[in-house]
Amino acid sequence: MKSTGSFISTQRACSRRTFLRASGVALALPLLEAMRPAFSRAANAAPVPRRMLGICNNLGLLPEKFFPAATGRDYALSPYLEMLAEHRQDFTVFSGVAHPDVDGGHPADNCFLTAAPHPGSGGFRNTISLDQFAAQQIGHLTRFPSLTLGVNVSQGQRSLSWTGGGVLIPCEDKASEVFKKLFLRGTPEEVAAQVRKLELGRSIMDAVAEQTRSLQRDLGARDRERLDQYFTGVRDLEERMDAAKEWEHKPKPVVSAEMPKDPADPREYMEKVRLMYDMARLAFETDSSRAITLMLDSVNSPTLADIEGTHLTDGYHSLSHHGKSAGKLSQLEAIDREHMKLLGQLFAGLKAVTEGSDPLLDRTMILYGSNLGNANTHVTSNLPVLFAGGGFKHGQHLGFDTERNYPLPNLFVSMLQRMGLAADRFATSTGTMRGLEMR
Amino acid sequence: MFRSPKRFAVLCLLMGAAAARAEVPAGMQPFLEDRCMQCHDADTKKGGLDLDVLGFDLKDAKTFAAWVKVHDRTAEHEMPPKKKPQPKPEEADAFLKALAAPLTAADRERAAREGRSSWRRLNRYEYENTLRDLLEAPWLEVRVMLPEDGEAFRFNKVGEALDVSHVQMARYLGAADYALREVMARQVAKPETKVTRCYAREQKAFAGKAKFSEFNRSAERATFPMLDNAADIPALEGIAPMTVGVADAEKREREAFGVVASSYEPIELKFSSFRAPSAGRYKLRFSAYSFWAAPESEKAWWKPDRKNLSAGRTREPVSIYASTPPHLLRKLGAFDVTPEPGMRELDVWLLADETIQPDAARLFRSRPGNPGGWHNPLAERDGQPGVAFRWMEVEGPIIAQWPTAGQRLLFGDLPMKENGKTVEAVPNDPHADAARLLKTFLDRAYRQPVADADVQRFLAVIEGAMKSGSSFTEAMVAGYSAVLCSPGFVCREERPGALDDFALAARLAYFLWNSPPDEPLRAAAARGELRKPQVLRAQTDRLLADPRSHRFVNAFLDYWLDLRRAEATSPDATLYPDYYLDDLLVESSVEETQSFFAELVKANLPGSNLVASDFAMLNERLAAHYGLPVNTKITDHSGESDGSAEKSAPHPIVEGVAIQRVKLPPDSVRGGLMTQASVLKVTANGTTTSPVLRGAWIMERIIGKPPPPQPASVPNIDPDTRGATTIREQLAKHRSEESCALCHTKIDPAGFALESFDVLGGWRDRYRAVGEGEKVPGFGKNGNAFVFHLAQPVDASGTLPGGGDFKNIRELKQLLLKDERQIARNLAKQLLVFATGAPVRFGDRPELEQILDHASANHYAVRTLIHEVVQSGLFQNK
Repeated sequence: MKSTGSFISTQRACSRRTFLRASGVALALPLLEAMRPAFSRAANAAPVPRRMLGICNNLGLLPEKFFPAATGRDYALSPYLEMLAEHRQDFTVFSGVAHPDVDGGHPADNCFLTAAPHPGSGGFRNTISLDQFAAQQIGHLTRFPSLTLGVNVSQGQRSLSWTGGGVLIPCEDKASEVFKKLFLRGTPEEVAAQVRKLELGRSIMDAVAEQTRSLQRDLGARDRERLDQYFTGVRDLEERMDAAKEWEHKPKPVVSAEMPKDPADPREYMEKVRLMYDMARLAFETDSSRAITLMLDSVNSPTLADIEGTHLTDGYHSLSHHGKSAGKLSQLEAIDREHMKLLGQLFAGLKAVTEGSDPLLDRTMILYGSNLGNANTHVTSNLPVLFAGGGFKHGQHLGFDTERNYPLPNLFVSMLQRMGLAADRFATSTGTMRGLEMR
Repeated sequence: MFRSPKRFAVLCLLMGAAAARAEVPAGMQPFLEDRCMQCHDADTKKGGLDLDVLGFDLKDAKTFAAWVKVHDRTAEHEMPPKKKPQPKPEEADAFLKALAAPLTAADRERAAREGRSSWRRLNRYEYENTLRDLLEAPWLEVRVMLPEDGEAFRFNKVGEALDVSHVQMARYLGAADYALREVMARQVAKPETKVTRCYAREQKAFAGKAKFSEFNRSAERATFPMLDNAADIPALEGIAPMTVGVADAEKREREAFGVVASSYEPIELKFSSFRAPSAGRYKLRFSAYSFWAAPESEKAWWKPDRKNLSAGRTREPVSIYASTPPHLLRKLGAFDVTPEPGMRELDVWLLADETIQPDAARLFRSRPGNPGGWHNPLAERDGQPGVAFRWMEVEGPIIAQWPTAGQRLLFGDLPMKENGKTVEAVPNDPHADAARLLKTFLDRAYRQPVADADVQRFLAVIEGAMKSGSSFTEAMVAGYSAVLCSPGFVCREERPGALDDFALAARLAYFLWNSPPDEPLRAAAARGELRKPQVLRAQTDRLLADPRSHRFVNAFLDYWLDLRRAEATSPDATLYPDYYLDDLLVESSVEETQSFFAELVKANLPGSNLVASDFAMLNERLAAHYGLPVNTKITDHSGESDGSAEKSAPHPIVEGVAIQRVKLPPDSVRGGLMTQASVLKVTANGTTTSPVLRGAWIMERIIGKPPPPQPASVPNIDPDTRGATTIREQLAKHRSEESCALCHTKIDPAGFALESFDVLGGWRDRYRAVGEGEKVPGFGKNGNAFVFHLAQPVDASGTLPGGGDFKNIRELKQLLLKDERQIARNLAKQLLVFATGAPVRFGDRPELEQILDHASANHYAVRTLIHEVVQSGLFQNK
């Protein structure tokens, strides 16, 4: 299964070791639980597709330029949010939010979508991320249960997507690879190999199902019911294997966009971000996936290429430790503003496309934020968080207590519910996001 | 019969109700009429109980539970309420007998028909242990690959809660495939056992932190190049290379890197030049010692001077973790280092590609936030302690036999050949070999004799795979995967009535090992001997003596006492900076409770020890936490500690990181489970404690009198961390309402006594609060100055519901000790749920009392209780 990039996967039950092996049923089978059932029962239950994109910039944004002063609906846009003025009614900005007990400075980025406490401490194990949690339920509805993307990612060290077992799902760092995966068909040999593996999995499950049936025969009602559930689990998995096989034969969507050219130099960070936003948009447009994460590994980025007239002299990470130096602050601000600009373009792109009766943005939740409240001091409280699209009543600044922060996982619960999932908690949530309502 | 026309009218409307009443056995009617109906009729329905419509259909679970409640409230003299006329004892007895008989009969009838427990799959602990034992691969990490198990009656052992979905099935498939491939040979020749030495000076993680950079200019966050006890100034200043290397073996041996900080972002030590080439057994040896760093200056005495180092003065615990990127850490063990550079060895199992991370666990972890930078809490006017590492030596993988047991189980003695990066088995006759190997595998994997139909079923998978082009090896893996996903493997097969020998063997092994039966146990089952009491007793002792019994102890405590949640919350950085980031304390606290229970089993100590014991299982960190004498400074001693458990009374000094049995001073507040740090941690939230939550937990888990669930309409009390009011004052208003008091008098008392202990079980006389107030000088483990203040004093007094006042935790324990049978009853109940997968129901009570009767002469000693559970009908029938 060489053709399946590692970034496309969800809820993989197997360990990273299993994943790395390139032969046998090992690769194919763990993916199957997320594949689409042949007759797509769930699709009928949720007629409006909902999607999510989670973005973490692990150096954050200058808080004094990002957070608006006033709260509520009539708040005045902050300098950074001014750049998103035309989308004002399409996003909500939060302040005074954090992940409870997620500390430890830089390593906290891996917990941005998991909210697992104490990423820096010994014995830490991450937990399932928001996208994987959603993909576990709705991943089978699309060709790719989820996409895990990154920019300048320190491979194997950083990712926003984590399996239920707390295993890192590697990020795809090349936009061209994402494009190929989404829109180019694999070679006949690759398809045939994949189909054979699926058929092998199917025959394993057939044997299991058969034994389950034979055991059921002479049991009492209560025990039979337990085995019935077992049988159903086996059959459901078989259905998903069949659906996965179907995807192998189905042609991939055709798009007019051209294959992106990956910048070779990590200094072209901003261009890479732009391309990844494009890939996410294309994936949503073609309903190829509904759960995407994007780790912007700014910590791992060098001195960036100049941005519109601002000459950058220091590494991104180094700039973030600005120590209030005016020279560094102005460079950092130029970078931050470029981030806002690209985000605005992404919003505009998703608004320009309609699906059914809605602009695509109304069906797509975009969470943009950071694990650091202030990179200068490495604090993991008062996180900058911006939340757009998805059909919520936006256009407000929800300000919470900056001393005792409000739990950000509550937003995740709201997002899951918007996806149509019956989730009432996620990680350390205490409810849904206070003040955020669906339209 | 009906006292008022109104009631009569109501009942006539509810014709069904009249019929329902009529179902109740005649022997119970007079008591109900005289003592119950006044409040519990269709009209008043006090407490939601309406005896007019309840009926007596004991097959209905709700009806059954309601009558059990009627029975118990009456038996406990809670009903009728004290203010109403009380029934004569013989009147109540007659009623209780009349009620108990049909309840017991109904329960037993159901148990005979369907068994007490339901058919169930293995939980994820059991599945992991089963694969580890079957494939003889103790390193397999399967548990985390499976979804979290549902729990019922507090355990992950009950069929009704162990669901199966397509997600579960897919995970089994992934886990089975992972485990099988993990034990398959990766090369034909036996891998060489190598001895590799990794010098600290040559490790990137050490050397990279020796020089200051734009991200760090603090010595606390840097490594210290050292030569013996002195600073290696040429190396520090970059004049000399970081190591002399092979050119000067003698000097190379003396080179080291020191730290004054514990491993934490941004300084994490790692011997990354070693990565485990394959999963397996390894020996790790470390050369390390403690040192002393002089102050940078008289003014900034809490900062270390990297150029001014000398011999160590302290004994320092070092934890060793195995690490998988990005930050997956498994603790492998711990040892102490002293000023003498000794060699410490750990015998461990590693996963392929793991690297080794040492952590000098007592040292501080600098976090930003303190005005003026961090301040090492361990610093003294004349310097601070540090730990220096010379090298790590690895021996491994240590392979006892080749091909490995796992490879032999899967492929017998078939020759192997390398095929690209994989190794394939070469069959003589693929069909005959497949059938033979599969049969052997099934015999080992299944815990009961294998039906021929099953062999054929899985053989078809293998044959089909070969036909469609899979290699022999891949086809076998597919067949084995099917076996490991099949209910015959994944489920515990128990049939109503007395368990057959194989099911009994499985029940015993999954009870005392949380693992499948081993060969001797299966052999006893096959001989049909297991049901003989003396054979069963001998097997029970054998299993308990085996190291695998730790799996029972740990899994049992993970659920009974919620130990699996020990790391779920963490001490608040503002209120408890002295515990915040103290991994060693939390790890030790879990070990304490595990060792404590294991000791009760091993030494067969009375069950009352669960409430109060005259000893504790401690290491130095815990002893310090509990205010017992410790001595970290060892400059005055010879520098040697033998770690012996025999400490001279009356003031034993606990030394070192290893858990030891320690005799407690007679006036100690410790001893027993309730005052162990782990229990006090899992019953708090890291910031505040609540007598209600702790009280309810203790009543249910330790005392075995679970309080009724919290009414949905009543919100939790939000404790005030500003220090103005205590939780007790906040509760007082609530408790003064009669309807609330009814439950709270039962829930809160133990919680009140435990208010003397903070969120991590440290003793307190006064609460800590944020904001203004009496400050406490000091610095946290994070190097930040304390900003909390001491607020209201703690009042730990209370009254037990049955009477009995106590002023503090010690008096509470004495009161609880009066009923040692109740403490034992609760433990036996918990063991029975864990062992049988079903709760102790009404009809099981007589047998439970019998278990207790048999153990009473021995003061309900814990191992005796386990024996009596195993010998009981509850255990030996489904």
